[in-house]
Amino acid sequence: MAPADKASALVQGTLDMLILKTLALEPMHGYGIGMRLEQISHGAFQVNAGSLFPAFRRLERDGLIKAEWRATENNRRAKYYALTAAGRRRLAEATREWEAQTVAITKIMRATLGEA
Amino acid sequence: MFRVARDVLAGLRALFRRDQVEQDLDEELREYFEAAIDRHVAAGMSREAATRAARIERGSVTAVKQHVRETGWESRLDDLWQDARYGVRTLRKSPGFTLVAVLTLALAIGANTAIFSIVNGLMLRALPVTAPEQLAMVSTVHTVEDGYTAGFNYKVSEHIREHVKHLGRSVSWSVFHSRLDLAQAGEADRVDGLFVSSNFFNELGVVPLVGRTFTPDEDRLAEPKSRVAIISHGLWQRRFGGDAGAVGRTIVVERVPVTIVGVAPPQFLGPEVGRAFEIALPIGSAPLVLHNEGWGAGGFDPSYLAVMLRLAPGQSLGSATTALRGMHRQIIAAAMQPNEIWGENQVEQLKDPFVMVPASAGTSDLRRQYSRAVVTIFVIAALVLLIACANIASLMVARGAARSRELSLRLALGAPRRRLLQQLIVESLILASMGAVVGLLVATWASDALVTQMSTWFDRVTLDVTLDWRVVSFTVLVTLATALLFGLAPAFRASSLTPVAALKEPVSSGDSGMPRFWSRSGLVAAQVALSLLLVITAGLFIRTFDRLLAVPLGFDSNRVLVVEVDGSRTAPAPGARTALYERLASVVTQLPAVAEAGASLNTPANHGLTLVSDYTAPGMPELPPMERRAIVNFVTPGWFHTYGLPVRAGRVISASDTRQAPLIAVANEAFARKFFPGHEAVGGTIQEAIGPPERPKESRTVVGIVGNALDQSLRREAYPTLYLPIAQWPTFFPEPAQISVSVRARSGSPVALARGVAERLMTVDRNLSFTFRPLEDQIDAASHQERLIAWLSAFFGGLALVLAAVGLFGIASSTVVRRRTEIGIRMALGAQRRDVVRLALRQTILATAVGLAIGLAAAAMLTRYLEAMLFGITPLDPVTFVAAPAVLGVVALVACFLPARRATSIDPMVALRSE
Repeated sequence: MAPADKASALVQGTLDMLILKTLALEPMHGYGIGMRLEQISHGAFQVNAGSLFPAFRRLERDGLIKAEWRATENNRRAKYYALTAAGRRRLAEATREWEAQTVAITKIMRATLGEA
Repeated sequence: MFRVARDVLAGLRALFRRDQVEQDLDEELREYFEAAIDRHVAAGMSREAATRAARIERGSVTAVKQHVRETGWESRLDDLWQDARYGVRTLRKSPGFTLVAVLTLALAIGANTAIFSIVNGLMLRALPVTAPEQLAMVSTVHTVEDGYTAGFNYKVSEHIREHVKHLGRSVSWSVFHSRLDLAQAGEADRVDGLFVSSNFFNELGVVPLVGRTFTPDEDRLAEPKSRVAIISHGLWQRRFGGDAGAVGRTIVVERVPVTIVGVAPPQFLGPEVGRAFEIALPIGSAPLVLHNEGWGAGGFDPSYLAVMLRLAPGQSLGSATTALRGMHRQIIAAAMQPNEIWGENQVEQLKDPFVMVPASAGTSDLRRQYSRAVVTIFVIAALVLLIACANIASLMVARGAARSRELSLRLALGAPRRRLLQQLIVESLILASMGAVVGLLVATWASDALVTQMSTWFDRVTLDVTLDWRVVSFTVLVTLATALLFGLAPAFRASSLTPVAALKEPVSSGDSGMPRFWSRSGLVAAQVALSLLLVITAGLFIRTFDRLLAVPLGFDSNRVLVVEVDGSRTAPAPGARTALYERLASVVTQLPAVAEAGASLNTPANHGLTLVSDYTAPGMPELPPMERRAIVNFVTPGWFHTYGLPVRAGRVISASDTRQAPLIAVANEAFARKFFPGHEAVGGTIQEAIGPPERPKESRTVVGIVGNALDQSLRREAYPTLYLPIAQWPTFFPEPAQISVSVRARSGSPVALARGVAERLMTVDRNLSFTFRPLEDQIDAASHQERLIAWLSAFFGGLALVLAAVGLFGIASSTVVRRRTEIGIRMALGAQRRDVVRLALRQTILATAVGLAIGLAAAAMLTRYLEAMLFGITPLDPVTFVAAPAVLGVVALVACFLPARRATSIDPMVALRSE
């Protein structure tokens, strides 16, 4: 059950951001997104359907991604998600926030290690 | 916002295109699954291994679908709807419980709503006029304190109206209760009349249904043009059948023909809450219609008028008050026509500083009379509701325990605790709503019935108690609060289970855990305490009523008919009217069915104007004017015998006490005690000690003492009273326009005399008009409010008793059932029946005792607020405080012991086997 535990450590908001980032490169279907997340994180994040699908629904409702039925490589019908303009804006925002947070946390962590 | 709109639309789609949405998701999940398999196969796994891995990645389809579903706002609505339907199903499965709960709630919520609609109609609702918030009454400081409506005589009110034009526009109307006779002759057909200024209807924005309102030249004092009238919608329907042709027709008011110029709309009942007018006339017509010269310009002035302002924008109550106070001196000068006692009284009243009072809800003497009582009954009804809630809460706890299996199963299947809680609370809301709907029906009927009960012969009460937004919101709030009160705690209790409990045996074996014990006992104590509080309150009011009825009247009220005769249209030769009144009494006495008859100015509890005067007697200590006051009633000789007043000394008035004979008086015991303390009153002389200097002061000899008799109020102790012969009516007083003739029947009901008496009276003078009323009705009306409160509080107290008994019975029963096994074991081991019973009910009885103690303490602290309404007893009346707990205790014991007896008849083997 270890991978599931790791996946559940992902906060809801962070997962949303990661999905948006994944879709920024190209539109994808559900499994593809999950696979891409796993690939890029070198196996650190393995997200299952139970977390992905609700995230898709949320992002769709918020107008950040839009869905379209298309044929896959294997000629099956699948739902493809793509970023909307609002989604792109939100991704940029989230990226900025995340980076600012990371810088701040890093500073604190470094300071605790004895620096003035 | 686009986002919100999209969200809402998506949610609606999910609700209404459920299947489509489900299909989409299914397909997407299927594709996900296939893609996962493909990927693992491509990575080198076998088909089966790939499928297994894909399954793990997908997880439980149901779980995924549920998580997806929960992201939408509509899922909450959906859940609620599901809970509601399930709740209705569950309630239908236990019809007994549902019926009892709904009925209890209907009674409790209905009672509260009914009382609130009376509170609303009496105190909160604004007048159905334009911009009621701009209205303010001209009043005085002491009048406001006493809770009355301020009235001024014509001169004063006109003066005020002239000089407040810069403050706003003013209207005035008559505050005295005018019952105008619409009959042509003989027995009176009286309706409530209102005299108004010509701009009254226009200024208030009341548009007549038919016809028009008054014009200014119709409001000049005593002008023939002022003989016009506007009739109420009710009178229009009754007399003219709603015919529009009524406008322009003539109606006879106090034998004066008056032209109808308009019909008022049905929703406008008048400026006074609690009274409805049936005919409105211009103030200018009062001298023509009311043939009452008054008893001096300041006395019973028929133009006793209230003044109300529609404040100009920018005028505040404060600034208007200041402005009025600035004019005070001028106004006093306008009032100064003093030549009688009452003129002086008026000036006394006028020295009272002005104050402007907001009047958006009109004025009301009914408010002053009833507000305390209404508020008390409201609190009582609220307490009954609390008891009902406690009752139902304990029932819900029992139900929760019985459903523990079902609930813990749902928990085990993965339902969040919050969801269970929601389910249970929705059930409570459904129950409360059903109770509220039935309760509203109960309330509409009950509030109408209550208003009818409030009316007496003297006060015809009309209140608008229809359900408006305030009442409905009140009901909704009460329903919500009720549902939470009886539902929340049991819901928390029931949902705080562990899933493991589903595997355990049903919780009927063994003793329950500590928390359950406390909750059950807490409810028992609460119910008992509240019930005791209500029973004590009921006891206090019942005792008050009883004490009031026990007040000795001082006379015999059986078989007496009171005939109020209006002689204002008879020929007023000086001295002729009093002679006429004496003839009335003697003429009536001649009837065979009549035992005795006598005429008098006032009869007991007749709500008439009481004459008072100040007297001195030789040898009497110096006393301030108020202490020298006596009530004065003018009577004919037969009066004492008609009422059966006991003669304590000397004689009563006789036919020899004529105008020419020496002036005499008959005093009551209270008078004798005050004015002739310690020595014989008969033979003593009394001197009138009040009035303007130019008027001669009468001196009279006391010839007899009679027993004390009821004057107007049962609560007041006997007041010094003088009975003077009508024949010796003082020459400087205008003769009274009305007189009462009291007739005692030889046997049977006094009402049967009416016809004969009417005929006889008509032979004396055709211009008389009269109204009949049994004396008993008058006396009963004097204790009317106390009777009403006693009945209502007894009803609620009884209800509280029943609820408590039923609640206790239920709890005791369920306790016995729950501990059946334990009881069985103990009995099998040899315990006596007595011990078993005691054991089973120890907690319940203890809780009852605690409840009684708490209730007693609470009552001791709270009943002092009722002091003003009590009579003859203290708020800590020992009889009530002993009897009430005793009654409740006995009822409680019986309620507990009935199931206990059942406990002792348990066959131990059966109990053990049932596990």
